[in-house]
Amino acid sequence: MPVRCFDDLSGRQSGDGRINVVLSHGFGTDQDAWSALRPWLDAHFRVTSFDLPGCGQNGAQSYDFRRHSSMYGYADDLLTVLEELGIEDCIYIGHSMSCMIGAAAACTRPDWFREIVMIGGSPRYLNDGDYHGGFERADLDGLFDSMAANFQAWVAGFAPMVVGVEDNAAIEEFSRTLFAMRPDIALATSRTIFESDMRALLPKLKTPTHIVQTAQDMAVPVAVGEWLHDAIPRSTLEIIDATGHLPHMTAVPQIQAMLERRLGAFAA
Amino acid sequence: MIDDFRDGTGTFCHLVQGMTGAGIVVAAEVGIDGRAEPVAASPSAIDLSFDLRNSRILDHGWHGVPMAAKGFRIPSLFVATLGGPASHVLYLNAPVEHAPNSGLLLLWAEEDADVTALPERQLPSLSGTLAALLDCRYRALRQHALQAQFSDLVESVPAGIVVIDGDGQSALVNGRAAEIFGLASGPNTPSALAEPMRAVRRQCVNADELDAAYRSLVANVDYAATIIWDFGDRQFEVDTHPIRGEGERGRIWLFNDVTAELRRAADLSALAATDPLTGVPNRRSFEERAQAIIARRAESGQSVAVAMIDVDHFKAINDTYGHPAGDVVLKEIARRCREALRADDLFARLGGEEFVALLPSDDREELRAVTKRLCTIIADTPVVAGGVVIDVRASLGVAIGVDGYTTLETLIASADEALYSAKQTGRNRVVFAGEA
Repeated sequence: MPVRCFDDLSGRQSGDGRINVVLSHGFGTDQDAWSALRPWLDAHFRVTSFDLPGCGQNGAQSYDFRRHSSMYGYADDLLTVLEELGIEDCIYIGHSMSCMIGAAAACTRPDWFREIVMIGGSPRYLNDGDYHGGFERADLDGLFDSMAANFQAWVAGFAPMVVGVEDNAAIEEFSRTLFAMRPDIALATSRTIFESDMRALLPKLKTPTHIVQTAQDMAVPVAVGEWLHDAIPRSTLEIIDATGHLPHMTAVPQIQAMLERRLGAFAA
Repeated sequence: MIDDFRDGTGTFCHLVQGMTGAGIVVAAEVGIDGRAEPVAASPSAIDLSFDLRNSRILDHGWHGVPMAAKGFRIPSLFVATLGGPASHVLYLNAPVEHAPNSGLLLLWAEEDADVTALPERQLPSLSGTLAALLDCRYRALRQHALQAQFSDLVESVPAGIVVIDGDGQSALVNGRAAEIFGLASGPNTPSALAEPMRAVRRQCVNADELDAAYRSLVANVDYAATIIWDFGDRQFEVDTHPIRGEGERGRIWLFNDVTAELRRAADLSALAATDPLTGVPNRRSFEERAQAIIARRAESGQSVAVAMIDVDHFKAINDTYGHPAGDVVLKEIARRCREALRADDLFARLGGEEFVALLPSDDREELRAVTKRLCTIIADTPVVAGGVVIDVRASLGVAIGVDGYTTLETLIASADEALYSAKQTGRNRVVFAGEA
């Protein structure tokens, strides 16, 4: 019997709600990133989470350098998981790179997605004419070079920067999960993310989408959130009063309050 | 070439798109594992690989009829180009040996043309065309890779290599051969090669011999030969042969610099032919060369003379002054004789205190003068060895190659008899055979 993609990604299901919530974490973390929000979600939904390919304890096995060289490979995996679990209707909550993974999946199977919540998502990290992604080519090359040169040293500098707040527990957790990635996979994944350009896709996204980001995020400028809001037809934008790229870990009350407002109507 | 196939496949996709109204047409090489590498697509160049493993597309038995996309897992890669989810899908299998699941993937979005109006029966016939395109492209890629390997190989050997294609249209010259002929390395035209190769050949010391040898090349495409091109200071062993034995396939020229080898071989054979003490030819070499000279002169009706030279009382010199002194005497006598003889006289040490000279003459008076000079020059000045002054004398026996004494053996035997006679009659003298 072929191994299920869901098992391959160390998938977990919890909660007794009627409606499915699917959680997909971002680069450098694993599904434990949702731990703080999970009790509230479990109380109201049937919650599914997994580790992205390349991440978590089975990351080295689940990652495929060819398949995961684009966001679409991840999106196909997401659709496979949903199919395996028979989830044909869900609320999808994605963080960081998982925002675009969810968008690609929802465009492909719009009938399976009721609602999308994007936390700290970006369709394009590089600046491009009028588009302000926040990074110049030289920034990225420097990032890749220092990752390749000394992964440990890079993590030590990168983690506090991404977390963006002096939350030692969060920095420690983010560092732990980053360290757990195989360095070559981490480098390949960050290349896939930072080189991606998903802008053309977003006008086709018909699913209602709530775009959430913090007022200060080194990975995603507020202008990106505004761009997404303009591009996605049925979208709303919420800038929460917090700092950093991992608000679901460092600003749990604000994020939970946002979810309560946004998803309360679906909650059982 | 490879781009041509890609472009051709792109045009093919474009035509199929126009014919079917599909939103996307992708021609892809798909392996047994379901991994797909797009070769070309219409409308846009889809250059990311995708995976048909879990798509159920490869499991379906396609007969040119589009199916509702809901029953399949369509890769998300196409959604942006398609402008939304696919409504219908069609796969035209185009199996090729290296990628048995290859084919043409057609996707329609909701708003695309009505799939019920498709020319169903024509569609499956496209499979063969695509398979042929994919196969040709793959072969071209392989060919390209092989060529890269081949030129790497050709550059990594020390020999100069020129390969001329059977069609006479193209030729390949490696870096070493390019140096020899003053050409650019890499692809060349055979016509551009011919003149430099001929010009270099004409500079050879043995140009005439080479001209004669390669004359048959013009008449015989299967000609093969290995010949030394002698540039005087350098020698190349040049091997030319038809590719795989058939001149129609082309011709290979290999240029091996054998200068060092030949020099070593020449040194070795000189060593084998030389008497190590005196540096003059030894008996073996004398016999070889004497036979050749005798035969050559016999052709023009001329003969030769042989003079045997033996040091008088040599045993006494050894006994009195020691062997090192005896060696000095032999060396000095050899030097004096060599100096007194002419360039075309052959002089050698036969062994012990015995020397021989082959003189290309049958003029008795001239020979008398020459041999007398030898006798005198040996005896005139004492030899100084290890601080002592040694008087030396020698006896000579001479045989002239007339009256039937024409072989080396008879000449030597006859000269030996005369030498014996010289020894008997007081030494330090010259005796001619038949004159005793």
